[in-house]
Amino acid sequence: MNALRVENITKTYDSFKAVDNISFSIQEGRLFGLLGPNGAGKTTTMRMIMNIIIPDSGKIFLFDETFTEKHKDIIGYLPEERGLYPKMTLIDHLQFLGEMKGMSSTEAKKISLQWLGRFNLLEWEGKKIQELSKGMQQKVQFIATIMHSPKLLILDEPFSGLDPVNTKFLKDILMQLKQEGATIILSTHLMDQAEKLCDDICLINKGRVVIQGNLREKKEEYGHNSVILEYSGDASFVRNLSMVEKLNDYGNYMAIQLKDGSTPHQLFQILAGKKFEVKKFEAAETSLNEIFIDIVGGKSHG
Amino acid sequence: MDRVIKIIKREFKTKVLTKGFIIGTILGPIFLLGMIFGPAFFMNLSEEEPLQIEVVDESAILFNPLIKAFDDTLSNGQPRFILIPIEPRVYYNRRENFRQRIEEGETSILLILPQDIVDGGEITYLSRSVSEMDLIQSIRRRINDEVNQIRLKQAGLDPQQISKLTRRIDIKTIKIEKGKETERGVGQEFITSFIFLMILYMTILLYGAGVMRSVLEEKTSRIIEVLLSSSNSFNLMMGKIFGVGSAGLVQYAIWSLMSVGVFFVASASAPKLMDQVTISRDTFFFFALFFVIGFFQFATLYAAVGAMCSTQDDAQAMSVPVTILIIIPFLVSFMVINNPTSDAAQILSMIPFFTPMLMFLRITLVAPPAWEIIAAIGINLIAILFFVWVSSKIYRVGILLHGKRPTVPEIVKWLKYK
Repeated sequence: MNALRVENITKTYDSFKAVDNISFSIQEGRLFGLLGPNGAGKTTTMRMIMNIIIPDSGKIFLFDETFTEKHKDIIGYLPEERGLYPKMTLIDHLQFLGEMKGMSSTEAKKISLQWLGRFNLLEWEGKKIQELSKGMQQKVQFIATIMHSPKLLILDEPFSGLDPVNTKFLKDILMQLKQEGATIILSTHLMDQAEKLCDDICLINKGRVVIQGNLREKKEEYGHNSVILEYSGDASFVRNLSMVEKLNDYGNYMAIQLKDGSTPHQLFQILAGKKFEVKKFEAAETSLNEIFIDIVGGKSHG
Repeated sequence: MDRVIKIIKREFKTKVLTKGFIIGTILGPIFLLGMIFGPAFFMNLSEEEPLQIEVVDESAILFNPLIKAFDDTLSNGQPRFILIPIEPRVYYNRRENFRQRIEEGETSILLILPQDIVDGGEITYLSRSVSEMDLIQSIRRRINDEVNQIRLKQAGLDPQQISKLTRRIDIKTIKIEKGKETERGVGQEFITSFIFLMILYMTILLYGAGVMRSVLEEKTSRIIEVLLSSSNSFNLMMGKIFGVGSAGLVQYAIWSLMSVGVFFVASASAPKLMDQVTISRDTFFFFALFFVIGFFQFATLYAAVGAMCSTQDDAQAMSVPVTILIIIPFLVSFMVINNPTSDAAQILSMIPFFTPMLMFLRITLVAPPAWEIIAAIGINLIAILFFVWVSSKIYRVGILLHGKRPTVPEIVKWLKYK
């Protein structure tokens, strides 16, 4: 079953098309990355999924049902701009947000305390939010997003502004929630994060879908043959080989991109007969980041 | 719906359980009483000293009668005025001297009564300040009365007879309300209405602005988007307005209990005084009703203003038009107090924004026919629905936008967004 299906949604502000006919679907239990540069339309898309912004046209289905207000209770949403009530105490704040997701006040309190315990924040329970450090506030924000055990998590740039400790913390929690069966959508412009986490991706640029599908398949499809070569001696001849498409020489190592139809193995055979020392030869997969820059950068420069 | 109640509960709790609210609830009435009776109190304080008036009586017939006319005393038993006769010859010889004494404040007032005063000559009043209208009028009236007496005598008439013949008729005012007759003075009526009007005006202004501040807080702290993921913008806005409004009603309830308490204590200890104060249950009822109506009208607009703005400074500037919509009816209501049966009062009291204050005043002053009250309430309810519609549209778009203040054409565009 699809946890979420988005059909042809469009949002126009004056003459600016923030989101232009985007469609995608996410299978239950998958971790889905909505990728794209700043201003691509990620936040607008997520807000439309949450019915915070109403699309000009198009449809959104949650678990094969048309979106209604009651679906908000099974979604956990972390907006890009984090927000807390600075003057409320930690426990009051969490309890209130839990109640807003349909929990009873006693249940909301109980679960809040459990999570505060897990996040080592229990001793801060009665403190006002404005007295907490930024890292602690970020933890409070996650708790508010996940405390009602949502079936679908929508996280807008969840890793932005996090310190390495909290980044790892959040990743661990996401993996655990995924194992428990939650479907997760996250948006990010950090491709290495997406590469490590996502099962499926949808890359959007200027409001339109550029690539979408299974991450591994897409990397094979859009990836290039590349080789990382560590060496000593004179390797300038490599630049002139007919099979080389692009080359970056850093002195001690070079990153080589091969033309379609050539393989790293063919290059290896040529190198073997030459008078220089190969220290390391690595047939590398193209990173998502390179694909991203290729496609997005290429398009934006014409 | 249960989400709206949760929002109201939170808003109510954060509003009521603050030091500001508790202090305001207790100090509010004291402050109000101070504003009403303070000026009179200080005016009395400053007059607690006899006033010296030097009189240059060129007519030579007025000074003695005037001593009788200026014989009132201060509350501490001292005479209010001390008249000092100055020989005209002495005055004209040393005129500069006298003027200097006035300038230096040694003499407060110097009066010159001309020789032809009985035949229409002008009195000259010399003082460092000529802005004390009450005092000057009172002096003029006293001298005028004495001059009249002299004129009557010169014409061969008996002043006592004349004053008997031209005696003024007193008026007793009785208000007919629900078949009852209540004897009430015009002054009492005025003061009761005025106090309630002040409270109505101040609380609508304060709580309306409170809604705006609260909306702006949720916007600038960015918590609003988290809330939007649990409920919709309409519920959030209405929850906010109801939450702040119910805090206002609680404050009224506390004030009512306080005044009932004061009333009981006062009527036990000074029953005569309390006869003067007559506040009917109807007054309380309409007061609460018109607070609710007025509050909703202005709170929805204030909520929209809060959602449009990104900073306190912006909000202050953008809320001016709404604030003016509160101030104008308040100013107009002074006209209505003087003339509550005029056509203008009748028409304006039907118009949204004016109704809460003006209709309330008319009800307390002239008891307008029931259909007028019902029509005014009906018109205002329709207006409120319209304001809620407009404001919720503005709120929905504005609450997510940060940065520069929107222009009017942009706001009009928001109304058309799907």
